[in-house]
Amino acid sequence: MKKYLLKRILYMALTLFLVATITFFLMKLMPGTPYSNQEKMTPQQIKIMNQQYGLDKPVWLQYIFYIGGMLHGDMGTSFQFSNQPVSYLISSRIGASAQLGVQAMIFGVFFGIIVGSVAAVYRNTWVDTTATIVSIIGKSVPNFVLAVLLQYYISLKLGWFPIADWGGFEYTILPTIALGVGPLAETARFIRTGMVDVLNSDYIELARAKGLNKFGIIYHHALRNSLIPLVTLIGPYTVALMTGSMVIENIFSIPGIGEQYVKSIQTNDYPTIMGVTMLFCFGLVLIILFTDIIYGIIDPRIRLNGNED
Amino acid sequence: MKLKKFATAGAVMAVSALTLAACGSKSSSDAQSKQVLHWTESSELPSMDLSKATDVVSFDTLNNTMEGLYRLGKDAKIEPGLAKETHVSDDGLTYTFDLRKSKWSNGDDVTAKDFVYSWQRTVDPATSSQYAYLFDGVKNAEAVMNGKMKPSALGVKADGDYKLVVTLDKKLPYFKLLMGFPSFFPQNQKVVEKSGNKYGTTSKDMVYNGPFKLTKWTGSNLSWVAQKNNNYWDKKNVKLDSISFKVNKSNSTSYNLYKTNKLDAASLSSEQAKQLKNDKEFLTRKNASTFYFQYNQTKKEFQNKKIRQALSMAINREQLVNKVLGDGSSVSKGLVSKGLAKNHGKDFADEAYVKSGVEYNKAEAKKLWAEGMKEIGQTHLDINLLSDDSDKAKDTTEFIQSSIESTLGKSVTVHAQNVPFKTRLTRSEQGNFDMVISAWGADFADPISFLDLFTSNNSQNDGEWKNAEYDKLIQASKTTDAGNTDKRWDDLVKAEKILATEQGISPLYQQSTAWMVKSKVKGIIYNSAGVNYNFKNTYIKE
Repeated sequence: MKKYLLKRILYMALTLFLVATITFFLMKLMPGTPYSNQEKMTPQQIKIMNQQYGLDKPVWLQYIFYIGGMLHGDMGTSFQFSNQPVSYLISSRIGASAQLGVQAMIFGVFFGIIVGSVAAVYRNTWVDTTATIVSIIGKSVPNFVLAVLLQYYISLKLGWFPIADWGGFEYTILPTIALGVGPLAETARFIRTGMVDVLNSDYIELARAKGLNKFGIIYHHALRNSLIPLVTLIGPYTVALMTGSMVIENIFSIPGIGEQYVKSIQTNDYPTIMGVTMLFCFGLVLIILFTDIIYGIIDPRIRLNGNED
Repeated sequence: MKLKKFATAGAVMAVSALTLAACGSKSSSDAQSKQVLHWTESSELPSMDLSKATDVVSFDTLNNTMEGLYRLGKDAKIEPGLAKETHVSDDGLTYTFDLRKSKWSNGDDVTAKDFVYSWQRTVDPATSSQYAYLFDGVKNAEAVMNGKMKPSALGVKADGDYKLVVTLDKKLPYFKLLMGFPSFFPQNQKVVEKSGNKYGTTSKDMVYNGPFKLTKWTGSNLSWVAQKNNNYWDKKNVKLDSISFKVNKSNSTSYNLYKTNKLDAASLSSEQAKQLKNDKEFLTRKNASTFYFQYNQTKKEFQNKKIRQALSMAINREQLVNKVLGDGSSVSKGLVSKGLAKNHGKDFADEAYVKSGVEYNKAEAKKLWAEGMKEIGQTHLDINLLSDDSDKAKDTTEFIQSSIESTLGKSVTVHAQNVPFKTRLTRSEQGNFDMVISAWGADFADPISFLDLFTSNNSQNDGEWKNAEYDKLIQASKTTDAGNTDKRWDDLVKAEKILATEQGISPLYQQSTAWMVKSKVKGIIYNSAGVNYNFKNTYIKE
């Protein structure tokens, strides 16, 4: 186990390094400067600015400087927010995104499991059809449409929740639902499929024959086995949700990281692009590692040692 | 598997959601006696360092929390700021400002040295200010910016604590207007140096000398508060106790907040504007920003005036602003935006208006096109139309593409190229386009802010239109006629008329933003150029 973990961590470092390298060079291919007032500056002024920021140096040298800085924990200073260290920009805004992401995941998975299980148990009845319709709608209605509808009906018309802003838990509920409906639908679909298979298997028949009650069977035997495909899904989904959803954050005026990322790319804010990309990448490799470990816990048949990948 | 815990967590969440929902409708309302304005911004406040700020939100906030020599009032009228009296030398090259006694929010005196320090800091290449070019014309500014002279050589000196002397290289007829722009405001050297890299990155790492002082701004959050500054020299005329700013990037969100009285103002999308335009609280704010075509005049076909005219006349600008944009934008009368500058009560845009420069005339367009094509000896043209990739830009390009093709027939094919903003800029600078939709916003309320662009050697003249008479007039406005308001005005009017008659560029529309503003909010001063909002005299009439 130890050896396996060490090996995985080494791979993780390598992945991060490769992503950093590729992103850096791709980013430098984007036309334009990181100066927001580029439009009004003369070529001479741009040249002087480039010298100040070291952007007149060859790209490989800039790359070495960047990697050097990053190894010392210095991610550089943002161009959009002058003088603001990228590490501060990220740390001050990742919290809201991460909280929402986790809440949306918990909400989605929890209710997804319920809907999926109910649909499987009562398969081919009206309950199943309703659940299927619900998950199809959840999957196909874009979350921002749902967000706008929730905001309009629940907040504006009924006044149950704040329209927007970021304060306490009540501010997170509507964005959580808007973000969580996607994972809910997906989870329900996976669970239903998995469980229908499992419910038809011999050991469930045996459990039934032994006289176990229905819910006991579902809870102890069927659900556990249907969860495995879900684990694969949840990992990357969580990372994607945690690193922010630009549209949902904009609709609910949430100080998250989602828009920062998009805006940094649009404005050639090199240090921020790199910072957020690395964060996303780090989250993803970490989650993949956790997922593999969790596999082993849910299903002992998957042995870490025996699995060279 | 900890399914039980999992289930419990979910249940707890669901229950607490319901509980909170029940107490969600809280009844906290601001004390009625307080004068509080609830304002909305469409993006974050990126910087309060006036040497480094580059965006509208920063400049607006600086304008309301800092004070320069002057403050711009309604219609960009120059109103007293820290300058009590101003003396201009006969040659117009030396300005002497007598400053009033005033204090920074930390109690320090605001002195002439604060101006000297601030100006030198901004032009110093080490500061990397993106607005340093505004100092062009102040003695030695260009040499300092290019690193050829030390910042101390800049033509600004303190004569004692309350006298500021500014020397210019050349006459700047709009110099006083510039003094109302935040780049020319003072900075407290002690605070700048003490804060180091953190200066202007949070509301605490700053001092203020304007009507309000900033609080609760962490550098990246979505809300902040401007509180009345009791150290402000003219505090008796500041009526608001505070302004609460919230960033709402979604127009529908800010309008929902507006409807529930959480906000006193909301900016609208063009869809909302179309629906709400008859509401009594609806208004449009004109920006000193013009969108126009540039033609690549290094190419033979665009050197032909008739071709340029035909392309311009093929576009129904009325339809463009009303049907496609619908956000209150208006058809341009020329390059210089309407409402920017007036002389003897007449708007520059009206004075310099040339009908043929911006009119829609299908028949004439066809005729000119046929003649032009004959002159260049071609039967068909493929035109690459470069523009941004925002939704609005895409809609505009699509409209223009179909207008040109439907008016001029099969002898023209327009290829729309919608690229990201920075790519558009780079390709424009490189001359890598046939036609490009460019935009320009004026930094200060003077026509020269626009007209300078199309002199032969200006780096922003991407299409490389050249006209000797135009250059001569612009030059005269800066030199021989600089001291004579009327003559200078005439030079500029004539210059713009040449640009329009020659169709050097084709103005399309002037940008506006549609807003809802509560009728109880009075005394907001909005200017289309430079800094937009001045809340000094704003109040709430309950």
